[in-house]
Amino acid sequence: MATSFKFKPLTISILLLFLYNAIASSASGSSSTTMHTNNWAILVCTSRFWFNYRHMANTLSLYRTVKRLGIPDERIILMLADDMACNARNKYPAQVFNNENHLLNLYGDNVEVDYRGYEVTVENFLRILTGRHERAVPRSKRLLSDEGSHILLYMTGHGGDEFLKFQDSEELQSHDLADAVKQMKEKRRFKELLIMVDTCQAATLFSQLQSPGVLAIGSSKKGENSYSHHLDSDVGVSVVDRFTFYTLAFFESLNMYDNASLSSLFTSYNPNTLMSTAYYRTDLYQRRLEEVPVTNFFGSVMETIHTDSPYRAFSNRYYRKSKTEMPSDQSGGGNRRALKDLDILEELADPKLNVRPLQSTYLLVHEG
Amino acid sequence: MHKSSQVQGASSPENRYPEHGTFPTSKSSIFRLKRAAISQRLIKHFDKGNPVKDYSTELGDSRHDLHDIHYLANAIQLCPLFFPWTLGGILVEVGPGPNLCALEERKGKERKGKGARGSSFDANELSVKIEHQMRKIAAKDSTSCGACSYNSSLNKYEDSGEYNDELFDEYLHSLVDESDSRGNGGNVYTMIVVRREGQKDASAVVGKYRHGWIVGRVSEEEAVKKVASVFVKAFVNGGKEEGSISGEFMPVGADGKIVLSFNLLNADPHDWIYDWEFQEIDDNLLAPILKYLKPIADISVESQVLYHTPKSSFSYWDEKLWSYIFTTKDLPFFVNSNEWHLDTSVAAGGRSKILHLVVYVPSATECPLLLQLPNGKISKSNGFISPMWGSVVVWNHAACLNGSKMDTRVRHTISSEDMRKIFEVFIGQLRQLFGLKSKGIFRDTSSGTIRLLTSEMFGIQELDVLSRQHTCFNLLQCTTTLGSLSRLVQSLPRMIIKEEIGEQVRYSLEAAKSALSNVSAGIYDASAVSSRRARSFSEDAFYHPSMMSVSYYSFEHCFAVYSPFFLPVALHVLLAALREWKRYKQESRKFKAWKAKKD
Repeated sequence: MATSFKFKPLTISILLLFLYNAIASSASGSSSTTMHTNNWAILVCTSRFWFNYRHMANTLSLYRTVKRLGIPDERIILMLADDMACNARNKYPAQVFNNENHLLNLYGDNVEVDYRGYEVTVENFLRILTGRHERAVPRSKRLLSDEGSHILLYMTGHGGDEFLKFQDSEELQSHDLADAVKQMKEKRRFKELLIMVDTCQAATLFSQLQSPGVLAIGSSKKGENSYSHHLDSDVGVSVVDRFTFYTLAFFESLNMYDNASLSSLFTSYNPNTLMSTAYYRTDLYQRRLEEVPVTNFFGSVMETIHTDSPYRAFSNRYYRKSKTEMPSDQSGGGNRRALKDLDILEELADPKLNVRPLQSTYLLVHEG
Repeated sequence: MHKSSQVQGASSPENRYPEHGTFPTSKSSIFRLKRAAISQRLIKHFDKGNPVKDYSTELGDSRHDLHDIHYLANAIQLCPLFFPWTLGGILVEVGPGPNLCALEERKGKERKGKGARGSSFDANELSVKIEHQMRKIAAKDSTSCGACSYNSSLNKYEDSGEYNDELFDEYLHSLVDESDSRGNGGNVYTMIVVRREGQKDASAVVGKYRHGWIVGRVSEEEAVKKVASVFVKAFVNGGKEEGSISGEFMPVGADGKIVLSFNLLNADPHDWIYDWEFQEIDDNLLAPILKYLKPIADISVESQVLYHTPKSSFSYWDEKLWSYIFTTKDLPFFVNSNEWHLDTSVAAGGRSKILHLVVYVPSATECPLLLQLPNGKISKSNGFISPMWGSVVVWNHAACLNGSKMDTRVRHTISSEDMRKIFEVFIGQLRQLFGLKSKGIFRDTSSGTIRLLTSEMFGIQELDVLSRQHTCFNLLQCTTTLGSLSRLVQSLPRMIIKEEIGEQVRYSLEAAKSALSNVSAGIYDASAVSSRRARSFSEDAFYHPSMMSVSYYSFEHCFAVYSPFFLPVALHVLLAALREWKRYKQESRKFKAWKAKKD
């Protein structure tokens, strides 16, 4: 017999007003609340001419390192002010070495230079940092970071008190750099920034920084010079700088899965072998260096979430529209092992709810 | 620094003061007038080239727009965004009593009651509309007493144990007529509680429109609590654990566009090569997605097929499962960026967002490849997402599973059936990328299990959630961008702000105002669209390439750079001007003396 229903009004309309506030106030503390989503690297070599071979080798060595540790080309911006590999004075054409044993060719496969030659200018560099490009600039030349990005900025070349020389003709001042970083922070273009500078009097270049979330290390303090490591008598010039040489030595022992900390990197520099004091500043950085793995800046670990299940939205819809016949499964015969979606049936515990029989998926599991 | 000085010509002493008393117009005087004209012109040219002049006259109106920015920022931050909506609840009891027609009556009253907001009502408040509805529904059903199809469908449920969620959902949708609910301000969400004695646990189902129902044995107070919690969990938060808006699940680019880049990766073409019929999929499966997400983002679709794209993580052979296994620990290292050249889109502008949706076909050395979850089970979807990057699905084709040989020289096409399955996973992953759940069921400790009907890719209430969140996020981004812009402009008073930037700021402010008004009217779609426009304009204004602070030096810097060029020349010009002035003074003195002598 048909049952009939008694009925009561449950609630009289509840007008609910919801507040969607509060993220505005977190602008200052955002570095602690946003998640680390990706890693970027900006590697800049600012010197031209053959005798500055070592700066090119420095930058290419670091490029190789960050690629090996996982940062993809699309998130690396490589700026090389001159071409050493195909320089007329290069005895080994198309090869760049950072060691006199010539074991490693830095200019081997998959080197993608984004800014080359005369494109490496102070203006372009600041445009990359602030994001103010002309409309036609391609995506590979832009820094497309977001508020969860960790950025590694490595600069090498000739520098001095509060400046870095570009192309032997112009200078990047420390206050320009500080201003660009400030604008980046305001626009939330990074979560954390690590600046590594390998020039003479490197520490003066980041002396004017004020933005939070920035960590900086330079190869020498004010009044000190940074020196090259060794001279390659075959190539005829110095092939690597001391600071970068010891940095690479630290990284050669690491791979993608390791988690050595930043403090171990920073304390690995010995002033006696460097012949200068590697100075770093952590006053703008909230986290403790012992807790920060180097792969946070030098490598890249993607954040991943696995997908629970497919979303069966259009079993009927697709067939109606496309008017194709249901194709038979390509696997024939006897040894077919199939998985029925037992898990979904378990979750829907209500016995009265009859779920439509789900088609077998393309995942096959051995029926044990 | 310099003002152009007028130097009057003066005639030579000899024939300067002739008897007829007029000022000389002889050749020498013409020469002197010329001299004055030349010196005047020279000084004017010098003055024009002077870089230290004040440029304040060139700034124009652009700076004035920036005052409005502060007003908007305050509007958003001090007065938070209020989204008006209405929740209604209906309790249905299964038991002897008046027949179902009463249900319609009371439903109608309930609806009216929403407008009246809490006043009590009685049976006389039936509107013509409800009667019309009752008649319509009664006509459909064959049983007596004007019973509605609800009755009959629930009867069917009783008898055969079969229950069709979809039909019930459609039926409820026809009852709860939403077209006239907008007048009340905001959208109306309805929860219906069906009390039945036989049931042990209460389970909730949320339909694809703006209503849901709970079936089970609950007391009235419990029902209220359950309704509220299901409402918050499903309608307000859209299934997320917390209601906060993190930028991690907002994959919309700064110009309001998303590019969905579909990639088919053949890990080793020496084993087999696969291709797909993308056009068919684009027309059938992707067109609805674009339609649904239109207010939230402008989506365009691209696809490519790549070869020689091995993954960079390792997998091991599992004897029990008879396949190669990779675990969730390997997922962060799966994407091999050296070999996978995914970001080759030419259509995506500098500020659009690209989401890479990848189908990975493993090579013969690791086929079949399955994802094992931490609890030991095999993943049903065989895929994963990376927020703000995209997603990957591993597809094992049937031939590799039963070990049959494949012709390696032929390009095989993925069958429609397999494509459909892959795209079901993609839909789930796309939902995850937007922050919704990928499957149609989620657990909540307070309200038990909540099941979503999954016949559409996005339920309307889910689109509401997305619209609201994106509106808030976009408006917030817009205000922070405009605020940064105004701070930047104020810190560099000598920077030239182009008219274009001022216009963009104005458009952005207009769009933001219209978004705010749409929010208070409760129109979610329009508010999402205008907030997107507001953000896009504000980003265009902030990232205008002309605002490079390196071009605008401080006054001291300018002075220090230019003074070695201009000071020496300036010295000479100054001296010359002084000499001319002295000469004029001398001559005019002489003229006065002559005039006095004459009188």
